[in-house]
Amino acid sequence: MRLSDIALWVFTLAFFIFMILPIAVVVVISFTEAGYAAFPIPGWSLKWFARIFEYEPFIDSLITSLWLGVVATVASCLLGIPAALYLSRARSGWATVITTFLLSPLSMPMIVIGFASLFFLSALGFGISFLSLAIVHTVICLPYVIRTVAAVYRAVPPAYEEAAMILGAGRFTTFREVTLPLIRPGIAAGSLFSFLTSFDNLPVSYFFGSAQTNTLPVVMLAYMEHQFDPSIAALSTLQLLLAIVALVVADRLYGIEKMTVAT
Amino acid sequence: MMPTVTLSNGARRALLLAPALIFLAVFFVMPLLDNSARSFIREGGFTLSRYTDFLTDRFYLGVIAETVILSAAVTAISVLIAYPVAYVLVRKAGGFSGLMIFFLIAPLLTSIIMRTFGWQVLFARRGLVNQWLVNDLGLLDAPLRWLNTPGLAIAALVHVLVPFAVLSIASVLQGVDRRLEEGALMLGASRIRTFFEVTLPLTVDGIGTGAILVFMIANGSFVTLVLLGGGFQTLPLLIYQQFNTTRDFALASTMSTILLMIALACLWLQLRLLRRQGV
Repeated sequence: MRLSDIALWVFTLAFFIFMILPIAVVVVISFTEAGYAAFPIPGWSLKWFARIFEYEPFIDSLITSLWLGVVATVASCLLGIPAALYLSRARSGWATVITTFLLSPLSMPMIVIGFASLFFLSALGFGISFLSLAIVHTVICLPYVIRTVAAVYRAVPPAYEEAAMILGAGRFTTFREVTLPLIRPGIAAGSLFSFLTSFDNLPVSYFFGSAQTNTLPVVMLAYMEHQFDPSIAALSTLQLLLAIVALVVADRLYGIEKMTVAT
Repeated sequence: MMPTVTLSNGARRALLLAPALIFLAVFFVMPLLDNSARSFIREGGFTLSRYTDFLTDRFYLGVIAETVILSAAVTAISVLIAYPVAYVLVRKAGGFSGLMIFFLIAPLLTSIIMRTFGWQVLFARRGLVNQWLVNDLGLLDAPLRWLNTPGLAIAALVHVLVPFAVLSIASVLQGVDRRLEEGALMLGASRIRTFFEVTLPLTVDGIGTGAILVFMIANGSFVTLVLLGGGFQTLPLLIYQQFNTTRDFALASTMSTILLMIALACLWLQLRLLRRQGV
């Protein structure tokens, strides 16, 4: 091995330690027996996971967050899949402009989207409600669904659908029997991304906080401002577990490399 | 009799776009326009006075400068760290590349709260880092105060953003034609010269795209700065404070419009770069 290669590998190793250490520490602390958050831990216990279920705001907000993620993802699929189907076959200059527009919520500062939507939706009479939250979350989730579905559909040769039509299948039958099965991995991966994005969102949800609409990240932030105990670590660990399961599933369905290229 | 509307094939397919377009026009564009409009109205009339006030105030000019400089610094550090890692990922990792990608993406899926919590524990007064430095390595006599320092806040921001930089640089490196490098080597250029005169110039546009992506996300982030401190005064932080405490919503609208303009400028720059790459 050349000296430069060794240097590169050492640097890469240091990089991954930097990336993983702050996360690993939190995972370990979630299993602590101590009443305070410190590392290393004096002994192992599951009591902080039990604490999650005793503290009502955690559970209430967890349920809100799960529902919100599902509703925003379903709405994103209903709006986004047709658009993705059209855009991946279109070749005009307009299609590029429209794609850019549909993906642009990803590039705008979240805090501005949240702040602006609060005033706008209040003026429309939606106020601080689950519906408002669902609308804003759909705005930020929609680009993920469009991007993944379009990437998958672009790789599908039009010949499959043409063959079905030539053999006498109608437009709808072709969609249901040919197109839909082919783009299903894209829909699944896009939905997972969308759900995780919604579930993790803080900068937008923050503006729509109330007893009925607090999401899990908002409650965790408020909790952290007053207390610094390991229950936040336990919640984070559960959340990470959920995300890793989702990632592994997405990898099986869609391929992890393709997701990174699409970014 | 019902009038029959005949649509061309193209027009009918364009209807597929309508739901998403209408939804984003109403619930994404309108709120942003409405928000900006509020900053141009004072006592029922149109005014630019908020912007002239804002842009001539030394404090607020400083805030804009600090926002841009902090994002630029975080971006520069992220790109410098990301390039060697992306190089190893694409050229050297071989069978390890799947594992590396997993460890790059897994942190992207953890919440900002989790990572901040981790930093707070590691760098607490009696935290792991101070224990290493004082007790194990003996480099320091007394524990250092890390929390609420600018350095730690920057490190935490880099931690959030560097995976994006690695992934976008890696995708460009993957596209470099290896024959060009082999050619340079065969003609007698050293490895280092080949890197600086062939590989690096071929990936400059990709670095640009990755850098703009990181810069855009850095520009809007505030949760890390709220929780880890560091004494920064940036536009997102001030918008957050205006909303929470001062409640001067017109000022917050002015600041968010300026932040939005910076984001739009970045988006425009990114599109230009992408077009040049012919993606």
